[in-house]
Amino acid sequence: MTLSFDHEWRLDELLDGASQEKIGPALGELLGGDFSITDDAGRTLWGQPVPEARREPLILELEPVGYLLSRTASAAALIAARNLMHVLLRAEIRFKMASTLHLESVAEDFESLKREHARLIESEARYKTLSAELEARVKKQVGDLEERKQMLYEAEKLASVGQLAAGMAHEINNPLGFVRSNLSTFEKYLGKFAELKSHPGSLAESWQRLDLDFILEDSVDLLHDSAKGMERIARIVADLKAFSNVDRASEEYTDLNHCLREAVSMVEAQMPPGVHFRFDLLPLPSIVCLPGHINQLFFNVIRNAVLAIADSGRPGEVKISSEADEAGIHIRIHDSGVGMTAEQIEHAFEPFYTTRPVGSGVGLGLATARNVVQAHSGRISLDSQPDVGTTVSLFFPTPP
Amino acid sequence: MPESDAQHLTFKLVYYGPAQSGKTTNLLRLHDLLAPELKGEVMTMETKDDRTLFFDLLPLGFRAPSGLLIKFRLFTVPGQVAHDGTRKAVLSRADGVVFVADADRAQETNNGESFQSLADNCARVGLDFEHLAMVVQFNKCDLPGAVPETEIRERWSAAPWPLVFAIALNGQGVETTFELLIRTVYRNFCQKLKLQSAHGLSEDAFVAGALGKNA
Ligand SMILES: Nc1nc2c(ncn2[C@@H]2O[C@H](COP(=O)(O)OP(=O)(O)OP(=O)(O)O)[C@@H](O)[C@H]2O)c(=O)[nH]1
Ligand SMILES: [Mg+2]
Repeated sequence: MTLSFDHEWRLDELLDGASQEKIGPALGELLGGDFSITDDAGRTLWGQPVPEARREPLILELEPVGYLLSRTASAAALIAARNLMHVLLRAEIRFKMASTLHLESVAEDFESLKREHARLIESEARYKTLSAELEARVKKQVGDLEERKQMLYEAEKLASVGQLAAGMAHEINNPLGFVRSNLSTFEKYLGKFAELKSHPGSLAESWQRLDLDFILEDSVDLLHDSAKGMERIARIVADLKAFSNVDRASEEYTDLNHCLREAVSMVEAQMPPGVHFRFDLLPLPSIVCLPGHINQLFFNVIRNAVLAIADSGRPGEVKISSEADEAGIHIRIHDSGVGMTAEQIEHAFEPFYTTRPVGSGVGLGLATARNVVQAHSGRISLDSQPDVGTTVSLFFPTPP
Repeated sequence: MPESDAQHLTFKLVYYGPAQSGKTTNLLRLHDLLAPELKGEVMTMETKDDRTLFFDLLPLGFRAPSGLLIKFRLFTVPGQVAHDGTRKAVLSRADGVVFVADADRAQETNNGESFQSLADNCARVGLDFEHLAMVVQFNKCDLPGAVPETEIRERWSAAPWPLVFAIALNGQGVETTFELLIRTVYRNFCQKLKLQSAHGLSEDAFVAGALGKNA
């Protein structure tokens, strides 16, 4: 171990050989020829001490670190020389302590730097593992999110399909119900006619008694009604087929006005009261598209319009207009419903953004709409004012 | 642990504290005030604009009844923040510490930071801060902006160290600070060094020897 700055310095550490060579001859001259230096333990550093020599202690702090001896010098000269040596030794010890301390403090600073460096390396490593962990966590969360989104998407799809199915079921059940009751009434009526055979008395009399005039008339009405009901069911099934395009899965030349009407007839199946349609459909060129998807798109937008009016609590109107120019087809669906705030407009096209309770099946409406429009190289935009209404503008390019 | 051999026992005492709090002044006044059997000169190392760059050293000593020479080497550290490496080196191997705080209210932050650095540096140089003999001196109590004694006492009431309120400039409190420190030092080492049993030194005799006054 190197000696620390604050150890008690020995004389031979302060007066090394080289400095002894320098001061020795000078001291010899001053002290009349003979002198010697010993350390505090009596070891000789310079000259040959003899017992009869005068002796002065060399003191740096409290105790002598050594002695200056001379046979030849006067007492005063020896003291003067000793004082001179004090000055010399004090300068030397100051220099030695300061430089040793300096080295220690540099080493200490270096140690701090090393510690700092080690800390940095450690924190860098920590940071690295942390960021790796973070990345993995984010990846997993994104994965989870995607999965959830997919699930929600499926759920929404199911919900909207379910809603459509429920609407359809209601529409079909209604006529089905009265056709069924008509038919059972009709069966009873046939029983009356059968009674005619076993009825005593004349036919005319029995006819009268059994009130078969009325029964006949009512039977005709029943069958008429039933036929109408069946027709209605047939129309609904036809609409549904056309709408979902179960038999038209590929691209076709299509008139978008036709698609608009089909979508409207689907929405009309579940119309809340107080909503009316107004059409302003100009002739359009047919375009190549997927009619099933386009129908879904119009259905979503028009249904939103209807719901927006229902939400406003006032009667209102959905105005559907279309026109064509050289660039393509412009379709506008305007409603006088609740309208949307700027924030709602900003999020309107995000999947699952809805202002209505989750599960009511509208979260995918505009997102789906936009996907369909984009698949047809078109554009869709929203313009809305709260409490005034919303206009959805659609554009489909026509090939030049 | 003090350095010792058969004839000597040396205690290293360090005056620590923020820049300009009066550490060097404490040493200079002690040199004037104390009259122990042995007293060296204050060795002041390089300074710049009166600010300590390395350290100051005041050696004191007296002989125990047993003949053992007891020495005290009082060091000051440089208070300026930049000299932390030097401060650590000077603090190494200390047997006791006087923390010289500046009572001026404007210096509260500096005091706090310096005190924290003392605790940190003790740990670095292997000193047990918890059991280190220490006295806390609030110096410059003459300043108009000095924090009142009652307020300081209140704030330090939970601390285990003795508090001294000083005006080092005129010597007030300087000797008391030193006395309180070496009393704690005596209690810390009396057993281990057999000060009483082998060397015939009571606490009061120890203090009297160090101060150079009859107990
Ligand atoms: N007013 C007043 N000034 C003081 C007192 N004690 C010291 N000073 C002054 O404060 C200044 C700094 O004193 P020093 O003793 O050099 O301070 P230090 O703690 O050694 O400073 P560094 O060596 O820089 O760490 C000097 O101008 C002193 O005169 C005191 O009790 N009251
Ligand atoms: Mg100083």
